[in-house]
Amino acid sequence: MKSDNFWRYATLAPAVILFVLLTILPLFNLLALSFHDVEWLNREAVWEWVGARNYARLPEDTLFNAGILNTIIFAVLAVAFQMVLGFWLALMTTRVTRLRVFYRAVFILPILVPGIIIGAIWKLMYSYDFGVINQTIMFLGGNPVDWLGNPNLSLMSVIIVDVWHWTPFCFLLMLASLESLPTDIFEAAEIDGATKGQVLRHIILPLMMPAIIVTFIFRMILAFKVFDEIYLLTGGGPGTSTEVISFTIYRRFFTEDQSGYGSAMSLATIAVIATLIILASRFATKKGPEA
Amino acid sequence: MTKKHLLGERLRFASLLAGTAMAAALAAPVLAEEAPITIVINQSPWFPGFQSVVELYEETTGNTVELDVNPFAGSLEKQRTAVRTDESPFDLLIMNAGFFVEFYKGGFMDALTDIDPEFKLSDEIYDFDESVCWDATAETVTCGGDGKLTAIPVNPNILIMHYRADLYEENGLEVPKTWDELMANAQVLNDQPKIYGISQRGQRGAFDVTYDVFPYIWSHGGGIFKDQKAGDFTITINSPETLAGMETYLKLASEVGHPSTAGQTQTNVIQNMATGKAAHIQSVLAPGLFDDPNQSAVVGNVNYAATPASKDFPAATPLGHWLAGVPKNVPDDRKAAALAFLTWFQTPEAQEAYARAGSAPVSRAVMEGPMSETEEFRWMKALSEAIPTAGLTFLIPEASQVLAVTELRFNEAIGGQLELKEALNTAAKEIAKIMTDAGYDAPMLDELK
Repeated sequence: MKSDNFWRYATLAPAVILFVLLTILPLFNLLALSFHDVEWLNREAVWEWVGARNYARLPEDTLFNAGILNTIIFAVLAVAFQMVLGFWLALMTTRVTRLRVFYRAVFILPILVPGIIIGAIWKLMYSYDFGVINQTIMFLGGNPVDWLGNPNLSLMSVIIVDVWHWTPFCFLLMLASLESLPTDIFEAAEIDGATKGQVLRHIILPLMMPAIIVTFIFRMILAFKVFDEIYLLTGGGPGTSTEVISFTIYRRFFTEDQSGYGSAMSLATIAVIATLIILASRFATKKGPEA
Repeated sequence: MTKKHLLGERLRFASLLAGTAMAAALAAPVLAEEAPITIVINQSPWFPGFQSVVELYEETTGNTVELDVNPFAGSLEKQRTAVRTDESPFDLLIMNAGFFVEFYKGGFMDALTDIDPEFKLSDEIYDFDESVCWDATAETVTCGGDGKLTAIPVNPNILIMHYRADLYEENGLEVPKTWDELMANAQVLNDQPKIYGISQRGQRGAFDVTYDVFPYIWSHGGGIFKDQKAGDFTITINSPETLAGMETYLKLASEVGHPSTAGQTQTNVIQNMATGKAAHIQSVLAPGLFDDPNQSAVVGNVNYAATPASKDFPAATPLGHWLAGVPKNVPDDRKAAALAFLTWFQTPEAQEAYARAGSAPVSRAVMEGPMSETEEFRWMKALSEAIPTAGLTFLIPEASQVLAVTELRFNEAIGGQLELKEALNTAAKEIAKIMTDAGYDAPMLDELK
């Protein structure tokens, strides 16, 4: 028994060491940095202890506040659209008998394109003067729309790009789950005279709930980390209308070289986002089986 | 042919190939006199010209130069990381006017005259408000006193007014000397959505909208600080003079400007001119682009002038020039190789080649010489006229933090998210906090009412 325990821990040890080295230590380093200001003098980093001052600055930071708020709006709206669209596309694809493989290939195309290229493509499409969207609107007799330069529209424009990019991810997971559902239940429901709506509400949705929750959590985590689309499309502007928290952290930490303050911002963000995701997934898990 | 003969032929061919490859490999080090160097640089409108000159240097000398090309902010981050490690992977940093003081003050750069006491800035090369020298004792930019030569300018990036010469001729317009005259001309040419009277950059970035509003606020007597060189950091961003400058910018934007000025990047602005959608732009020079039929719909129709003045103050444009410096944490042989490149770069031949490749040189002699009289290099006169009016924007290592404030608040004022006076008052408070926290005496003016 003693020997068994030894080998159990010994085999786990490499993974634990790697985890500590790559995750826990950097987090501790971030924590230590967050209580300091770092200045460079004569090629030497000078760490000055500032206590909780970096954390106290956060509520007054316009970009941080806008970043948190916009990130939540972005994540909620983008993921909601992606989940609904992904589910609907998966449902449609399973019912299609002809060209099924073709449809699947087309639907997953956007997820294969790197974010940086997506940003470039959509920036061109949204261009006020030369974009295909405004050219079409003008061809139809309308006025050009300032998709990225109007603060009332810009966040929605970015959300549309994200929905286009990530819906295939939801589609793939939903499709896999949908196709693994047992067929006999559907046959029984058909014999019992259940309508399509009843099948969807009382059979498909409850059976797919674990997959829906996992997809939702994956997507929320990724949506909270959005960066490349914002970086390329709007740079966080106009004003703070598309400022998202990962972009704010990047700006404060790297561009402005405020590593102490940037660390405090990173840790506060991790705390906020982790709390939100835990609450959201608990809510979804509780609601799930009842649905 | 028998199998034996075929094998013999193949062997002979293989030996010939191997011999040629070995000869080529051996020839390169014989030609090269210096160690290979790497330059970290940003992707700007003038970059293709610099790249061509680097290729010419390699051809001429046999030395090897690798270019590490990045976006504006990415280049800054790479430079910071490089100088803070034990050994920098970059032998030359191409530093922007907005951030070079951070590298000087942090003690990261070697004085070029410390590497080689014989090295000097050519008399023909501009010193751009003495930004090439650093006095480590006084912690200031100066070539006097203990100031040492620390960098060589590689590009005179300043804002120049570009206008459609063909439309000016058609409409009998004179080149504007004041903002009022520019407004009048822009009103004549404004025919939206076909052509905008002016296209201005207004988007937030690392040093974007702030850079482009400087000619407006300086030429009205405003600014961000009262006098950085004299050590007076009184915040003047909410002075009546700065307000007047910004009102001029906004008046042009709202009456004859692009409908999406707050969302316009430098690329958009240049694109608007190149496609014939803008009658005027204020931009850094990219003359090669406008006269290239593959990239421009207005070949030969763009002309250049210094930025306008107001009726009370002279014209002034911000220095956004680029400086090449050698980090301290580079081995001696690579430092020597970097200096060899900088020595060659200052020669008249290199400077002329730089101009011919489509970028603005940093040599006064070239800029005011016979080339400037030709149609192809008509932009040189405007540039040499504007350089004496150009000034340094930031002389503090906290520039990037101050810029984060100004980029946001100017952009909000342009986009209408904040009323102009409120944007300037807010910016003043935020800048004062940054400066005070960093230990400067930074008094504020009364709020704008």
